[in-house]
Amino acid sequence: MEALYYKKTDDTPSIILDPSSNTFEIAYRSLPEDANGFYEPVLKWLGEFYESAPQKVNFTFFFEYFNTSSAKQIAKILLFLEKLSHKSDVVVLWKYTNNDADMLATGVRYSKSLTLNFEFMPV
Amino acid sequence: MQQDNLGYIYRGLFTQTITDSIISLAESNLETTGESSKVKKRVFSIMVECLQNITRHQTVEGEEFNDSSIPGIFMIQRKEDSYFITSGNVVPNVAMPKLRSQLEKINSLQQDELKEYYKQILEDGSISDRGGAGLGLIEMARKSGNKLTFDFASVNSDISYFYLHTAISKELESATPIHVNLDNIKALHQLVNDEDILLVFNGVLNQESLISLLSIIENQMRGRVDIKKKVYNIMVEMLQNIVKHAAKVEEDSLLGNPGIFFISSKNDAYSLCTGNYISSSSVDELQGKLEHVNSLKGEEIELFYSMRLLNFEIDNSKEAGLGVIDLRMKSGNELEYSFSKVNDKVSFFTLQVSLK
Repeated sequence: MEALYYKKTDDTPSIILDPSSNTFEIAYRSLPEDANGFYEPVLKWLGEFYESAPQKVNFTFFFEYFNTSSAKQIAKILLFLEKLSHKSDVVVLWKYTNNDADMLATGVRYSKSLTLNFEFMPV
Repeated sequence: MQQDNLGYIYRGLFTQTITDSIISLAESNLETTGESSKVKKRVFSIMVECLQNITRHQTVEGEEFNDSSIPGIFMIQRKEDSYFITSGNVVPNVAMPKLRSQLEKINSLQQDELKEYYKQILEDGSISDRGGAGLGLIEMARKSGNKLTFDFASVNSDISYFYLHTAISKELESATPIHVNLDNIKALHQLVNDEDILLVFNGVLNQESLISLLSIIENQMRGRVDIKKKVYNIMVEMLQNIVKHAAKVEEDSLLGNPGIFFISSKNDAYSLCTGNYISSSSVDELQGKLEHVNSLKGEEIELFYSMRLLNFEIDNSKEAGLGVIDLRMKSGNELEYSFSKVNDKVSFFTLQVSLK
């Protein structure tokens, strides 16, 4: 399956979804005007990835900041990962800048609402 | 608030990043208001000269005058048929006589004489290492079609504020000279200093101007990183609310929604305010959301947020109020707001979020 690469911009994150190197990462900032539209191809890609997903998937989030409309889209990605965790061994690596208590709390909030293996990692 | 009332005030330090953002903000605002490209170009180049003038005079003989305790000011306004660009920045007192004589010389010349004078200085080669032979000032006078108004206000025995005001008439040829008393500007500068206002924006908001405003504030704020981050978060939600949900007064062709935004940091307590039009029919719904969010206490807010976060049924109904909940959660304060009816179609909505 072909990898999905997005370079970061002023208001959108960098995204690497690459099955060949088993790298899945979303990072930096996410505050697009149309979060729905921005994440739609990402969710579509993940939907297609489901069937061919490897036994072990480490999915990294390393956000500096995201707005509330992105928060909903990230929730959709996490819900997908929750579904995937029924057939693959999924770990969500929630990285945050050391001392960024808000970003840690945001990750913890997601982890409480989902049945998914979260690892929190200050960087 | 109307199209003919573009206003922008920045107060603080002038770094390269900040001036770049101020320029791109003004650029996108001129774009959205549909100004003619001739006028746009003139406003734009005068603004660039003006900002370069500020940064050029910040360091004199190796001494840095970019001190946050003596913040400068930059303003752009549009009234009827003219644009006004004003700067106020610190200059060393020793530089005052030269500046004054340059400006007096420039103001004594007619348009065609200015052109000659410009060439003469270029050929003279008497340009200082900071490029400060007044070429920028001549350019400002030429492109504005007006005299440059200026004044000084003493800060202490070493430095003074240097105020420079340029009126740009839309029609260069028919321009009637605009004379301005800078006392108002000085008083305004004093006011924004007293109130610790970092920025006032009155114009068209879209994603592009939002990014510029964010970059300005991000580079301007000093102090604790966690507070800066919170302010940033709150600002995004407040401004994106306007970008996405605000109404226009008339069905015009603005590439964005009209809005007012200002931010102050008095005694380290940040206060962010927005004002924008919304359709009168959505006032009750919004008021209900705000009242509900304000009524929540402590963990209830967190709980309500989590519930909304994973509820996609209501996904299409204006972010399900997630932004508003976030504002309440991040600020730790109740949200202050008001509605006033403009007419049957639109109302004016103000929102204030305070952060201690």
